[in-house]
Amino acid sequence: MKRDKTMMITFVTPALITFALVFIYPTIRTIFMSFFYVQAVTDSLGKWNFVGIDNYIKLFSSQMFVQSLKNIFNIWFWGGIGVFAVALLLSIILTSGVKGKGFFRAAIYLPNVISAVAMATMWIHFVFSSKYGLLHNVFDFLGWENMAAVQWTSPTNQFASMTVAYCFGMVGYYVLIFMAGIEKIPRDFYEAAKLEGAHIFQQFRHITMPLMRAVMRSSIVMWSVSSIVFFIWSMMFSTLDPQVGTVTPMVYMYALVFGRSIVPSDPTLLNAGAGAAVGVIMTLIVLVVFGIVNVTIRDKKIQY
Amino acid sequence: MKVKRQFFLFTAVLLMLSVLPVFSTGQQGADDVDAKNLVYWSMWNETETQAMVLKDAIKEFENENPGVKVDIQWNGREIRKTLQPALDAGTQIDMWDEGVELLTRSWQDYAVNLDPYFEKSYPSTNGKAFKETIIGSLQDLASDLSTDGSIYAVPYQPFVVVSFYNRDHFDKAGITKTPETWAEFLETCDKLQAAGFTPVTIDDAYMDLPLGMHLNRVYGDSNKVVELVKDRSGKLWDDPKVLQAAKDFEALAPYMSPQTEGNKWPAGQQEVATDQVSIYITNGTWLPNEVMGTTGPDFRWGQFPYPAATNSASVTGGIYGAQGFSINNKCAYPDEAFALIAHLTTGKWDKELSAKTYGAPMDTSMPWPVQIEECESVFASLDTYIPWSGGLAEDSDAFPIIVAEFTSLISGKITAEQFIGNVKAKLK
Repeated sequence: MKRDKTMMITFVTPALITFALVFIYPTIRTIFMSFFYVQAVTDSLGKWNFVGIDNYIKLFSSQMFVQSLKNIFNIWFWGGIGVFAVALLLSIILTSGVKGKGFFRAAIYLPNVISAVAMATMWIHFVFSSKYGLLHNVFDFLGWENMAAVQWTSPTNQFASMTVAYCFGMVGYYVLIFMAGIEKIPRDFYEAAKLEGAHIFQQFRHITMPLMRAVMRSSIVMWSVSSIVFFIWSMMFSTLDPQVGTVTPMVYMYALVFGRSIVPSDPTLLNAGAGAAVGVIMTLIVLVVFGIVNVTIRDKKIQY
Repeated sequence: MKVKRQFFLFTAVLLMLSVLPVFSTGQQGADDVDAKNLVYWSMWNETETQAMVLKDAIKEFENENPGVKVDIQWNGREIRKTLQPALDAGTQIDMWDEGVELLTRSWQDYAVNLDPYFEKSYPSTNGKAFKETIIGSLQDLASDLSTDGSIYAVPYQPFVVVSFYNRDHFDKAGITKTPETWAEFLETCDKLQAAGFTPVTIDDAYMDLPLGMHLNRVYGDSNKVVELVKDRSGKLWDDPKVLQAAKDFEALAPYMSPQTEGNKWPAGQQEVATDQVSIYITNGTWLPNEVMGTTGPDFRWGQFPYPAATNSASVTGGIYGAQGFSINNKCAYPDEAFALIAHLTTGKWDKELSAKTYGAPMDTSMPWPVQIEECESVFASLDTYIPWSGGLAEDSDAFPIIVAEFTSLISGKITAEQFIGNVKAKLK
């Protein structure tokens, strides 16, 4: 028994030390840093200037940071509804015995294996372009001139365009998860329900959804985390500077810590301490969402 | 049992050792202990034209100076984020390059004061002092940006923001003189439109430049623009000068490409490169090189300085700058490092860099490429430095809001009055 303990400690210690160094230490340092004005992220502690909760006050009085929170909420809420609805629909269709399931599953998942940078470029130039984009050409073909002339990537429309493009790529991921969840439900339940006269919506409402609670809960948490760290799509839709329609907390933090993407920022506008505060706020949001999801969608431990 | 224990201990030690390299500082290895090794962190990616020219130039320098070896690290633009942490961590980096403004305003404390080197002559300066060989205004800029008036970055690859136009379109529209005032600019657009061309375009990436330039023309001082952007009371936005500036763009809107509002870089550039639009209102000297794949070298580019706004206070300011090299103040061989920089930025290799990238030369004795030849006189005429964005970006909260509203204004979606009203309301 004694030898086992030694063995355990010997093997676990390097992992624990590494975990503490690469995760716990940066977390504590980030929280600590968020109470200081720090111009460059690598500035030594001696250059840090204690400002209390000033960074947090400044963030919540900044129009762009508040806008970034609004954008992220809208991506999470509206995008989430869209992605989950489409993914559920597709997963039900694909698990209903349709022919070519494997092909459709692979095709729907395909956007996930393509780099987000390539996907965003494709959407911006080949779907949304008002000169030669897919939408323009389709509407033009249908003779809908006003729709063909819509500037999908203008400041007014780019948030919606970006959200649609992002959600399109995310559907396949959740289709796979939902399909796995649905396939786990015994077929007997559906057969019995059919014999009792339940139509497909009743089967979905009373069998599929209740037995997918755990899957839905995990999916919502994953969707929340991926929405809160929304970054690449935003950077692709506004490559140089954060824009009103595309700014998210991660993008705002990046701009605060590293400055503008191509041209130099005034060094006095940089504030890695405020960037750390953004990180702390985002972590708190994830925790709150996680808590709410756990409380509202309880797993009833149904065995089947 | 003993063997088993020894095996576990051995495995544990191996695990520990595998973690250790994570904490090493990654010192650059010196291949030749007798050579003077210089480590150069470059802002270019290895496959870029600039990198290829620099690589050949450095090879030649090493051949001519057998005692010097240069280790090049191609960082690309990521250097903006990686250089300072690396310097703070004590990594050996003897020289680096980036924009002169960034080099001086952000990294001056890490760099050598280069003033003495500018007084000396080098093999590529034909016996003249280095400072007499390269563009004077960029030396002034480099010293003006520093906190003590000294130079900490050697400029190369100069750029200037101008209006680009298609000479063929101008010829076909019967335009013989480039516009100098806003009224002339609108007249030019009118002629182009009458000749069947779409007159003007721009991308989202450069959308801040026309407004920044215009307000600088109106006020003649970028500090006034900064004050305007930071104003949350709305009083400064009520200045009739601002309304007039907005009205100038309202008048330009009918001449803009219908794609302007949704143009994501480089869609607007491609509109000009593919002959669909005649003028790109504000872009840098690098534009012909960026679209060379589309236009080919025979595209007849022309340039003119940003026109005077209605009731301009000044017309001689411009957005200009350059890339630059700095030397680490901890570099063991600063003389050799500067000799290398002089080798790269003057004479043969400056000419080569200019020719291969269709960019401006730093050496005043070198000709400008035909694609940007009109920029030379524009560059020479500038007497006031306007920062990128013209000062609009000095408030990072207000900047995106103003640019979004300006995009609607220049695209003809809102009027000048609505522009002012929207900006005031959103900045409150």
